[in-house]
Amino acid sequence: MRKFYSSAMAVGTAALLALSMSACGSERDGDGDDAGSGKGFKKDALIGVALPSKTSENWVLAGGLFESGLKDAGFKFDVQYANASSPVADQQAQITAMTTKGAKVIVIGATDAAQLSTQVEAAKKSGAVVIAYDRLITGTKDLDYYVAFDNFKVGQLQGQALIDGMKAKKATGPWTVELFSGSPDDNNSGVFFNGAMDVLKPLIDKGDIVVGSGQKDIQQTATQGWKAENAQTRMDSLLTSTYNTGGKTLDGVLSPNDTLARAIIQSVKSAGKPIPVVTGQDSEVESVKSIMAGEQYSTINKDTRKLVAETINMVKALQGGNEPTVNDTKSYDNKAKVVPSFLLPPVIVTKANAAQAYADDPKLAPLTK
Amino acid sequence: MSRIKELQKNLFGGSTSNARQFGMIFTLIAVIVYFQVRTDGLTLTPTNLIALTQQGAYISILSIGMLMVIVAGHIDLSVGSVAAFTGIVVAKAITENDIPWPIGILIGLGVGALIGAFQGFWVAYIGVPAFIVTLAGMLLFRGGNQYIGNAETITVPKGFQKIGSGYLPDIGPETNYNNPTLLLGLLICVAVVIREFRARKVRQQMEGAEPTPLWVSLVRLGVLLAVILFATFRFAGGRVGTSFPISGIILAVLVVAYSFYTRNTAGGRHIYAVGGNARAAELSGVKLRRVNFFVMMNMSILASLAGMIFVARSAASGPQDGLNWELDAIAAVFIGGAAVSGGLGTISGAIVGGLVMAVLTNGLQLIGTGADKVQIIKGLFLLAAVAFDVYNKSQGRFSIVGSLMRPFRRDTPADPVALAEASREEEKAPAAG
Repeated sequence: MRKFYSSAMAVGTAALLALSMSACGSERDGDGDDAGSGKGFKKDALIGVALPSKTSENWVLAGGLFESGLKDAGFKFDVQYANASSPVADQQAQITAMTTKGAKVIVIGATDAAQLSTQVEAAKKSGAVVIAYDRLITGTKDLDYYVAFDNFKVGQLQGQALIDGMKAKKATGPWTVELFSGSPDDNNSGVFFNGAMDVLKPLIDKGDIVVGSGQKDIQQTATQGWKAENAQTRMDSLLTSTYNTGGKTLDGVLSPNDTLARAIIQSVKSAGKPIPVVTGQDSEVESVKSIMAGEQYSTINKDTRKLVAETINMVKALQGGNEPTVNDTKSYDNKAKVVPSFLLPPVIVTKANAAQAYADDPKLAPLTK
Repeated sequence: MSRIKELQKNLFGGSTSNARQFGMIFTLIAVIVYFQVRTDGLTLTPTNLIALTQQGAYISILSIGMLMVIVAGHIDLSVGSVAAFTGIVVAKAITENDIPWPIGILIGLGVGALIGAFQGFWVAYIGVPAFIVTLAGMLLFRGGNQYIGNAETITVPKGFQKIGSGYLPDIGPETNYNNPTLLLGLLICVAVVIREFRARKVRQQMEGAEPTPLWVSLVRLGVLLAVILFATFRFAGGRVGTSFPISGIILAVLVVAYSFYTRNTAGGRHIYAVGGNARAAELSGVKLRRVNFFVMMNMSILASLAGMIFVARSAASGPQDGLNWELDAIAAVFIGGAAVSGGLGTISGAIVGGLVMAVLTNGLQLIGTGADKVQIIKGLFLLAAVAFDVYNKSQGRFSIVGSLMRPFRRDTPADPVALAEASREEEKAPAAG
């Protein structure tokens, strides 16, 4: 009996071994060729879209638009958001998974611009084309394209809006302002801030604009993670430290986006101060309401639908084996190469032109009536 | 029936024979098979296995240290922050002060040791609960990371990136496989065979010890060798330029070394003694403070290593590094069968626990599940895995934790009642995972 068992087991083991050997497909054969170089790919190929965590309306909207747009174009798609608890590691894993699944194009809205180069490199090696969406990915020569709004221009428009808004309230300076910038791990934060400073700096140097707290550089003004609570906490502290005593009034706040703008307004309100001129960006529903109610001064209309549509156009061009259209081949240096970019123009929106700016937007147009 | 029992007893636990890991390994296999089918075979492709190893390496390194901390009856909440802090210090040292990266790694480990000594001092010599000390450490070193790094992302050079995203090089004749990986697999096979036959020899020589039946040894060897060979060819057959990741090798070395330490040395057994009953251990001559100091310090050193590997993999050190890593490591340890009250648990269990979570996440991502649902599923899985075990224990059935609690129980194959009972246990065992 025992003998029977041991021989049965030996046979079984041998079978298992053989099975494991035969199942060992190598991925080395016929690999290493640089796919994605102008040959196009199948019409129903998989397109991966990796977006940051759902912290702003914009990303949620973009995800939905990508899904419907790619579906209409006949592609298979995989649209993923990073989780909120460890976004960088999660996004890295998601991009790797898309690569494994053989995605032909991977569109990435980066969580951290500098921490994806390993994954982008792997994606490229496996034959995928990598497009950075809205946020430039730095430190890798394997990034193929960049699609975004002209963010330096966004900053300039914000700076100009701040000045215009303050002039409308109080014809002559000096005006007292506070500055906020975005998350330091987002490549765009610096671009917005520098754009705004491009307009504000001359007036600050002349003394027409005074930064009340003296916090003028990007480290001091940063809002970690683009989080509303961080902006609100900082504004609370600024109000206590600078505007509580001594009769200084706050005329304006440069805010890089709508979420932060509302947090700043919230902080000012709860301190019982008059609301200053606050800029914004993204045309979020709540902020458009706030602008119409006369609280927030301005926002920027970066039509997410246009940006997504432009990205999908690129994917279609790549599918057909064509070179996608770009309109800027010198501005966006990611520290490894100058990335061919397609830039869309942003539009500044205040109460005065809101109805006109959002006329085509089914969600925002009714709010401006 | 007794044969099934023998098989189960001996197949997975090595010569110390224990069924406790059986449940978790069974779950792991079930999860792998499920996703292998659901993803049309993507789960076990070379690319994916390599990615899994790289994604899981740093969390698994943390769970080695966390297992020892939890066995000693403590907890460490600061590991993510310590990892992030070390990451930024090393990145700054290498890029801004032009220190060669191998020295940068030594600096990183040194920083980890200093932090560990600091935290260990409060825990072991002042008697502040580890929960509080490391909660403070979590804030302290997260803030330190942002203070030093200005919350910026700092890129590290190519050489350093090797420890997180590097592979064994392609050398030797063209075999269509990565030769060093093949060699490594072969060495492991030889080591496993030698170990098995040595263990048999020892048991045969020991008086009163019953050697594992030969056929069980053979089956165990067969299964192990098949798995190793399968993995070897998979890792060696990845895309040109990839092979077994260097971070995986670092992890493997640590697992072997720490498993030996916790199982076979007096120092390692002291950790279990302290966690099981600190007073009794102290009265038996265990140097309580030294053990507590050691586990806390060791944890921070491993955390610093994990931090550096992550930075190397990400090619940069950023302000969000290490967020919530402590929770992943703690989850892995508990899924692997450690007890919340301390004194129980094994390193291999923690690694398997971590693997289950990693395969689960990876599989869900491969089939395109959103991050929101992945988190929900992982949360429920953690709860279910531990709850099932605890419930079974309270019902007197097979239990991972329960079987750990009676390490001295002798099997009595001569007793037919016990045998029948035991075999009934076995039938339920697979479901216990």
